[in-house]
Amino acid sequence: MKKLNVQTPPLPWWAAGILLGLVQVLAVSLVGPLDVSNQFVVADAKTLNRVAPEYTENHPLISNEESRKSGYGWWFDIGLVLGALLAALHLRIWKVRATTVWWQQNHDAPMLLRLIAGFCGGFLILLGAGLAHGCITGQFISGWSQLSLSAIPFTITMFGFGMLVAYLVYPKTPKEYRQAL
Amino acid sequence: MSTPIVGLIMGVIFGASLVLAGLADPDKIIGALRLKDFHVIRTVAVFVLVGMLGMWILQLGGTTNLSIKPSTILTVLIGGAFVGIGLGLTGYCPGTGLACAASGRIDALFAVLGMFFGAHTYILIYPSIVVRLEGIFDFGGVTLPQITGTSPSSWIIPIFAAGSLGLLLTRRKKPRDVEQSIRAGDLIINEYPSGSVRTVTVPRTNDLLLKTDSLEAARVFRMWKNLLFIVTMLCLLLLQTSFWLVRTVPDKMSGDAGANKPVAFGSDENKTDESVKQNVTNSDGAIETSLSVPIEVTRKPGLAAFDISFERIALVVHFANIILVFTSVLYVLTLFSCLAISFGGGLGGISHICRAVYLSMVMLVLLLPWQIVFGSTVLGAIYTPGELVKWCSADTSGRFDIVLLNLRFTGYWALVILLLFLAQLRSFRWTKTSLVRLRKTVSKDVQREPPAL
Repeated sequence: MKKLNVQTPPLPWWAAGILLGLVQVLAVSLVGPLDVSNQFVVADAKTLNRVAPEYTENHPLISNEESRKSGYGWWFDIGLVLGALLAALHLRIWKVRATTVWWQQNHDAPMLLRLIAGFCGGFLILLGAGLAHGCITGQFISGWSQLSLSAIPFTITMFGFGMLVAYLVYPKTPKEYRQAL
Repeated sequence: MSTPIVGLIMGVIFGASLVLAGLADPDKIIGALRLKDFHVIRTVAVFVLVGMLGMWILQLGGTTNLSIKPSTILTVLIGGAFVGIGLGLTGYCPGTGLACAASGRIDALFAVLGMFFGAHTYILIYPSIVVRLEGIFDFGGVTLPQITGTSPSSWIIPIFAAGSLGLLLTRRKKPRDVEQSIRAGDLIINEYPSGSVRTVTVPRTNDLLLKTDSLEAARVFRMWKNLLFIVTMLCLLLLQTSFWLVRTVPDKMSGDAGANKPVAFGSDENKTDESVKQNVTNSDGAIETSLSVPIEVTRKPGLAAFDISFERIALVVHFANIILVFTSVLYVLTLFSCLAISFGGGLGGISHICRAVYLSMVMLVLLLPWQIVFGSTVLGAIYTPGELVKWCSADTSGRFDIVLLNLRFTGYWALVILLLFLAQLRSFRWTKTSLVRLRKTVSKDVQREPPAL
């Protein structure tokens, strides 16, 4: 298996933060705060409406036509994929990979396990984002930017459980970080 | 512009920004959760602080579209825990997961697939479980200022100040340490198996002396360059804030020939604003005629607490203009000096500093108030208070007029900010490149003459 390295970010942290902050401000001035996860529910609602329309008619969450509409958020997520693809191609960092440096350092298991872990993690993330009315972009970042009350409990449990699970799943630190420290 | 196109453009910008910021990298996210890599933590902190400040400024101008999520505490706690577990397991969140999948990561594709199943499960359990849980500890869509009965400024200003200070005080100082050790004649050259790092004295060659001298000069110019960048940025922000205050505060702002109605902009007393007329006359003769009549202006009650009068805004604009002209010219000259030092001392990173100089020169050309010299045919991003009044008091009922007004004051400004930002970024890369080259040069010198350990 080819050894991977932790990539250096294209922008320094301050420039990256200012750039993303300005994008947030621009989004708020045009339409509303950034939010990504909601469109996964919209996509599933659309599918359910096609497969079982009688079920969606009586559903308290997706019975409304608005909840299945391909509006701003839908195109925002499509644009996100396009933008990331263009940036990765432009920076020449587009590369097919199935694992990460931290995973390589900690697990000798076959790559399939990483893919299963990715699937399970994605499942939990969207289930959690649905329960919390937003993901990291919508609830944590946009929530704190608006000083929303719900951002506080979300931040506490997200970081608490995130750090705990990361410590349990990735106990060994890759070489790059050991050298830096 | 229709909503799908706005969404698509915003999505492209956000997706590209995620990749540029280095957030679309699961290794960085896991490194942050393991407290080994602080790039993501710092980036997100700046992201939140800039967003918070920007939203507050927009809120003051009354042009914000907030969306406060409902504070159903129990479901938010459970949901946050699930998101945390998923994040700790994979290093992805919905936004970065999509961006990573687009960057060629197959595990991210599986994570996105899992997200669709997660969303499906959420829809299925919503009627039976989620609805009941949401009823427990439901505070509705409230913000911290609303629930505490305080003003947003009493939260935002301290958080922004404390956050900025914290970020400044805890920033990594490694490059400067290396630079200082090189200047002092010492360099870390080897890492021993035991893990201890030894420093040895580097024999200085003529080339190295020239480089270290150039480096010292570059350091001085770099400090001034960064200072000038910050001042220029602040002045530009002041100009834009002034525009939005004038643009959004008055409900009515019209020239009323023949009527002796006085100016009342943000102040309770009605009085004629002589300074405005004077400024207009000085800046642009063509504007004078349109403003020689009194202007009637009323303000929105939402900003009554701030008591912003036009005199104050005009003063701020004048002050920002003067500072801007000086700092922007000095900024370009400083970058040019950096180029000269880099070229003379062979510090490297010439392509970066050349681009920085060119970008800053374009920025300067766009910034300077050419309309004072050439009239309204050639405009600069800097505007005078009189010009601001003229544009804002003009009839903007048509869509084209609104677009033109926003392009003149915000579009032009955004272009200048972008160029300034890019120039600063290029100069930052120049610093990094020159340090790397210097380190390599010194290492070669050390290899030629092995040090006595």
